[in-house]
Amino acid sequence: MKLMLTATLGAAFLFAAASLSPVAAAGKDVFEAKGCGGCHYTEGPAREKTIDDQLAKKGPELWYAGSKFQKDWLGKWLADPKPIRPMKFNSLTEENPGDHPKLAAGDAAPVADFLMSLTSAEVVAGEVKPKNNPKGRLIFSKNMPCSGCHQYAGRKNEIAGGRSGPSLAEAGVRLNPDWILAYLRKPKLFKPVKMMPVFVGLLSDKDMLNVARYVAAFKPKKKK
Amino acid sequence: MEKLNIRKLWAVAALAALVAQFAIASASASETAKVFKFYCAQCHGLTGKGDGPNVTKDFPVSPRNFTNAKEMDKLSDADLKNVIMDGGPSVSKSPMMPPWGKTLTTEQVDGLVKHLRGICQCKGKQG
Repeated sequence: MKLMLTATLGAAFLFAAASLSPVAAAGKDVFEAKGCGGCHYTEGPAREKTIDDQLAKKGPELWYAGSKFQKDWLGKWLADPKPIRPMKFNSLTEENPGDHPKLAAGDAAPVADFLMSLTSAEVVAGEVKPKNNPKGRLIFSKNMPCSGCHQYAGRKNEIAGGRSGPSLAEAGVRLNPDWILAYLRKPKLFKPVKMMPVFVGLLSDKDMLNVARYVAAFKPKKKK
Repeated sequence: MEKLNIRKLWAVAALAALVAQFAIASASASETAKVFKFYCAQCHGLTGKGDGPNVTKDFPVSPRNFTNAKEMDKLSDADLKNVIMDGGPSVSKSPMMPPWGKTLTTEQVDGLVKHLRGICQCKGKQG
């Protein structure tokens, strides 16, 4: 009986994983036809085990893209990509040339659908409500070195912060708030080898939540 | 005769162990250089001069220049290890220096301390 149940659940899981909406399936075809997989892998779990593995990658892994990004942002970005990292991926010496291929609007939407279908069960939905909270700000900009490597918008809307990590200046429109928390909690699950320190055991879960809420509130400020 | 052979065997085994140890030590030196470039160079620069890409005009502190033997000599190996493991605030320095203790292994940190001594060409405060 147990075996049957396991087999049924397993088959259901495989079916769910394999079945894409027609639009997402079209997006997968575009993703493959354009050779996006040459720089981004889309099947988890994470493959990197060593620094060499990480440095061999040409672009970020996308196997949990649907849990990491916000769909509206992703579709727009694919049609009009702007650098997220000040530096070229995996480089400390070269500026980001901003040469990510651009997709036609008709391709960007289905590719975004496909990428949004790639999710991680570790990301719990609805846990993080974006909020500019003082505790999160204190940790991000004073107690911990987050701002040393990540750009953010300062009080006068100026871009401040370091340049080796991806910019967080508009993280609130780009990232899923729940993913930020999941990443802080289980960094190695998503990125086993990364330039960012592990904060597990250094920040309490409550503090991680405060930081996630704070970063998720980073949005483009309206020009006066 | 048999005793002699066993002795020879032991000698060969000991030699092999020595060679293996040397090979591991060499590999870890190049591995440490990789670790330095991957993690530390973000702020300290690829050559350790404190000029990594994060150090813009509004970076709140000057990351340690490891080529400055005079300054590096004021710190013991234990000081270096502490600051790498527990971050700047553990030695009353800036929180911009992250605590790497949950990221790096003890072996990697020990390797980095040696690597820094290689850059500064100094022994550091003794005792």
